[in-house]
Amino acid sequence: MTAKEERRDPYFIDFPKRIKEIQKKMAEEKIDVYLGSRLRTLSWTLDAFCPWRTFVVIPSDGLPTVFTFVIDAARVADDSWLDEDHVLGFAPMGGQDQIEAISDFITGLLKNGKGRVGIESGMSNYLPEGNLTHYEYEQFDAAMPGAELVNAYTIIDTVSMIKDEGTINRFREASRIVDVGHKAVYEALIHGGYKGMTETEIAGIAALAMRRVGSEWEWSFTGGNEIASGYRTGLAGGACTPATRKEIVAGEPLMVDIHAMFKLGLGDHSHNYLIAPATDRQRWHADNFVDIVKLTLKTYRAGITPSILAEKMIAFADERGFADYMVPGFEHGIGMMGDEWRIGLNDGPFSFWTNPDHVYRENEVIICAMQYACPEENIGFRYENPILIMQDRCEEMSKYPLVIEEIQ
Amino acid sequence: MEKVVYLSPQWRDEAERRLKADLSPERMNHITSSMSNMYRNCPDGKERFLFFKYVDGNLTELLTGEGEPPEAQFRITGSYEVFAKISRAELGSQKALMTGKLKLKGNMVKALKLAAVADRLNKVLASIPTEY
Repeated sequence: MTAKEERRDPYFIDFPKRIKEIQKKMAEEKIDVYLGSRLRTLSWTLDAFCPWRTFVVIPSDGLPTVFTFVIDAARVADDSWLDEDHVLGFAPMGGQDQIEAISDFITGLLKNGKGRVGIESGMSNYLPEGNLTHYEYEQFDAAMPGAELVNAYTIIDTVSMIKDEGTINRFREASRIVDVGHKAVYEALIHGGYKGMTETEIAGIAALAMRRVGSEWEWSFTGGNEIASGYRTGLAGGACTPATRKEIVAGEPLMVDIHAMFKLGLGDHSHNYLIAPATDRQRWHADNFVDIVKLTLKTYRAGITPSILAEKMIAFADERGFADYMVPGFEHGIGMMGDEWRIGLNDGPFSFWTNPDHVYRENEVIICAMQYACPEENIGFRYENPILIMQDRCEEMSKYPLVIEEIQ
Repeated sequence: MEKVVYLSPQWRDEAERRLKADLSPERMNHITSSMSNMYRNCPDGKERFLFFKYVDGNLTELLTGEGEPPEAQFRITGSYEVFAKISRAELGSQKALMTGKLKLKGNMVKALKLAAVADRLNKVLASIPTEY
């Protein structure tokens, strides 16, 4: 593909431009070298999935260099826009362990071995975040006596918040793939197909259908495709349900939350069912949920904040008499693989959590994520869908119909 | 053949003769690469190097000397004694690297691709009757 054709590719991302943006911010903050270790930073800068401990070293000018576990370095180089001279492997060998290899490399970039090195430190409730560990910090600090290590993760968080067209299109395609998965699940469930079926089997049906149309994996760290049925749909808080061997049973709710990945863009959509016969009370819960999701989606737009939205939605739920069942959170952050929790910058009242007063801006992508849980009645529902914040509305990336069907 | 002193001009000449005779470009996988071994703490207290350069599997340069070697794609640093043990087949080069007795500088991924030919090369050098 020529450079011109590449730019016409709807999924094209100008990675050298991203690096230049980071380098501009580095200059503003007087950072000589940036040492990135978070999964979100790696995806954002490399265009490759890095499941092993990986670091990206960004100099003040020129291309970044990646250091990853040697067994995966050739594959990362193959997937990334960087060549093999900029994707190096580390291994437990003299001169090749990650601390020595990286600190030698960084020292070579610093003038007389002295300067400010940006690192990524902090905390997250997303386990694979990838902040520099205390041990790594101490080791790098000792190995680079002329360097001052400075926490600089905000640089990446700032430049990655507003999504470019290629990134948005990758999310759209991942969502289209998820919709294919939902259709396959529906077709497997109807006409009594659900009988004898387990949650794990449903997860697999969705996975196969999505892989057939190009999904790279069911990326969620919460267990891939999350399927819950019966009482499991109504577990309090209920936002993590890896599929189990539980069988689908008539008269119970079923929640299908599936995930696809396309070029590190993430699809994440939950659809809910009632397995017939459904009671009037179950139908009431279902209607409540569909109505509040519709209202939430209608409310999202640039200029509002998570707290404004939550207040409005809880007021609606209270008025309708189901506020007790709503989990009072309506979204979570999302970005290229590894960026899956906090929205916006770390500028809220609780460190490294979403700032409830974060003002949404055009071209932010978040997951509209809503949970309805009534443990005492063994019923609950989940809605998730990546949405693109627009000036006066939001774009729902999954187009799967928002209904709770009764499966006969 | 009489023993030659390790890293001496005579040892270098014999190493070159054997490497050219025993390792064809095919056996060397037609590699184009260069490597320098840095010997710390030699018996006379000096530091020495051994430098190889291969072009399309042909040995084009084999140098020994004191001080800094020419620029190479890979640089392996260790004590004279460790290199001597490897040459006497008392210590494997992989084990020496994995225990930190040798240090490798260079692209590890590319080094992995050359591990087998490096072993072949070491075996030929180990066959030289050598006085350490």
